[in-house]
Amino acid sequence: MNKGSDRQGSLSVAGGAGCAHLRATKRLLSITQNGLLLIYAVFALFPLLWMVILSIKSDTQMYTTTFAFTPTLSNYTEVLLKTDYFKYLLDSLIVAGGAVVISVIAGVPAAYALARYDFKKKEDIAFQILSFKFAPEILVVLPLFMIYQTLHLYDTYFGLIWVYQLISMPLLIWVVRGYFEDISVEIEHAAQVDGYSWYQIFFKMLLPLIKPGLVSAALLAFIFAWNTFTFPLLLAGSKIQPITVAITKFLGTDTAHYGQLAVAATVSALPAIIFALCIQKHLVRGLSFGAVKG
Amino acid sequence: MSKKFLLAVAVLATALVGVASAEINWRAYEGTTLNVMFNEHTYAQAIIAKLADFEKLTGIKVVYSTTPETNYFDKLNTALSSRTGDPDIFMTGAYQTWEYAPAGYMEDLDPYIKDSNKTSAAYKYDDFIPGIINALRWDLVPGHAVGIGKLWALPMGWEINTLTYNKKIFEAKGLKAPKTTKELYDVSVALKEHAGSGTYGLAVRGTRDWGTIHPAYMSLFATWGGKDFEIENGKLVCKLDSKEAIAMTDYWVKLIKAGGAPQWSTYGWELCGADLGAGKAAMMWDADRGGYTQNVKGASAEAGNLAFSGIPLPEGITVQRSNLWTWAMGMNAYSKNKDAAWYFLQYFTTPEFMLYSGTEGACTDTPRQSVMNSKAYKDIVGEAEGYLQTFAEVSANASIFFTPQPYFFETTTMWAEVLQDLVVTNKYASTEEAMKQLAERLTDLVSDLEVK
Repeated sequence: MNKGSDRQGSLSVAGGAGCAHLRATKRLLSITQNGLLLIYAVFALFPLLWMVILSIKSDTQMYTTTFAFTPTLSNYTEVLLKTDYFKYLLDSLIVAGGAVVISVIAGVPAAYALARYDFKKKEDIAFQILSFKFAPEILVVLPLFMIYQTLHLYDTYFGLIWVYQLISMPLLIWVVRGYFEDISVEIEHAAQVDGYSWYQIFFKMLLPLIKPGLVSAALLAFIFAWNTFTFPLLLAGSKIQPITVAITKFLGTDTAHYGQLAVAATVSALPAIIFALCIQKHLVRGLSFGAVKG
Repeated sequence: MSKKFLLAVAVLATALVGVASAEINWRAYEGTTLNVMFNEHTYAQAIIAKLADFEKLTGIKVVYSTTPETNYFDKLNTALSSRTGDPDIFMTGAYQTWEYAPAGYMEDLDPYIKDSNKTSAAYKYDDFIPGIINALRWDLVPGHAVGIGKLWALPMGWEINTLTYNKKIFEAKGLKAPKTTKELYDVSVALKEHAGSGTYGLAVRGTRDWGTIHPAYMSLFATWGGKDFEIENGKLVCKLDSKEAIAMTDYWVKLIKAGGAPQWSTYGWELCGADLGAGKAAMMWDADRGGYTQNVKGASAEAGNLAFSGIPLPEGITVQRSNLWTWAMGMNAYSKNKDAAWYFLQYFTTPEFMLYSGTEGACTDTPRQSVMNSKAYKDIVGEAEGYLQTFAEVSANASIFFTPQPYFFETTTMWAEVLQDLVVTNKYASTEEAMKQLAERLTDLVSDLEVK
């Protein structure tokens, strides 16, 4: 055996040991990362798990046990079958869904205009729209209450969908505006050269390009609208009761029925979760796309 | 002849008036729609259960909303301050009338009650327990006690603050229901961790708002001889720095530290009741019906094991003074359907309805004397051990011991903040220092009120 092959052999042994060490380090890193993610997942999901556990506990075992108890569906029966729970859920779907649809119809063209056109006071208008989000709801609700009483919009679907625009519209406009700004205007010019009309460019080219952003903005707007409490509390109540307001009824009048409250909260979280799962493939791209601008 | 004719007309008129006052025309406001705002409560549920009967009798349509107490007054404040007349009728407490009535939001109900064309002879106003109906009267002068002036609302039910204890735990530990404040302290200490970690002696409210002050704390405060305000030279002066106020508060802080819930500062009525019902707390000092509802079969793990006792007395004091709370219904002064609204108020406070609400409707503390004396009421409510006896004993001297003034919620919230600081922080060197500072701040807060 010559010196060269010896060196090669020792190098390969050393290289093998180095690779093994690298692999072990990578594996350790991977285990640590996964372990940390697992801990975070448990931390993030535990409140939901706790809520589900509460929902299958009876009132009498609510405080006396933690994990060992006799599961019961009585809370579900009580809430889902003996109350107007689905009416409340439908009210929420109508007002939150309606608000998002209108925000999309009116907000996307508005976002396009703010992104593409130069006009007087453009940034002031954009900031004005954003500022609707700043106003504490409780401060603006009294004049709104009086206007709604006068216009007979109090306790109506239309009235709530309208006021929900204060929540969903600014968010949607500002997010979608960023997406429009990321698309080069030359693409539109090229399409015009190819003979596309403005509407064709908008619907056939721009909308598909901003779809991930639009979907994620719509989802966020839907979640914010779904979770809104002050407006439906003060501008509705007799005929229309979105779930955020109605849910508090399950606290009870004589004693706190936390099991029923947990059922109401668990089921009310489902529409947003289902919506998010349906649009998941757009969502991940939409939330990261456009985050960094050149 | 003309004299005879006039006499005949006079006799006929008198007879007609007599007939009219005997019964009113319940259909007079047929077709009207009333908007009613309820707090989510058993009292409201009893009314909702009988709404169809009212609508059938009167032809008046009722649209209502129910909102839990946590958010109810936010909603009501917005609606009333808009002065649009919606809702026509709303649930309120006596303390809230001190804010709403001076602002002009509430209608005086006396003229309706006195009008025989609007109020049935069967209504029997005098049947209301005087102390309860008078809690809703006030002359709008800050510092003047309730009981005089206009009637701003009609009571749906009321509550006194008594001690509810778990007799099973007491028997197991060989303890007796405490009758003095010293006994209460000793028993609370003895029951600390009575069934392991997290269990404790006495559940009382501790959140940073007026709700902490008005039940047990105010009851012992008044029993001890404390006063919140007094009138001096045409102004309200806070008396929370008095000897009695400092001694009582000092006792209360020590009691909570020694035998209260570990998370006392987060406790409202619902957690107090829940801990009592679950057996975590061996005693609760709160609204009597709070303990009662935990004792109803199937309502809690400790149902059937709960018993009732009066206010533990400080040394040298012989009279129990429970602070009183009443849920009531008022009429919006801006309502466009006031007469129809009065029919609603009248119908749902009649002796007949209140017998239903006091028995089948589970509204235990009825404001009607006739209901309280009825066998049906005694049979149902009397099933809870010591309830009726305690109720009779404590209610004899129960009253609203707060001084009526429009800053009630601000002053009691600041009071609760200091109480929390005394229990959970070291902000103050002593209770005396805390109460003296608080008294100064509260006197300053109400300094713009003129007592005429």
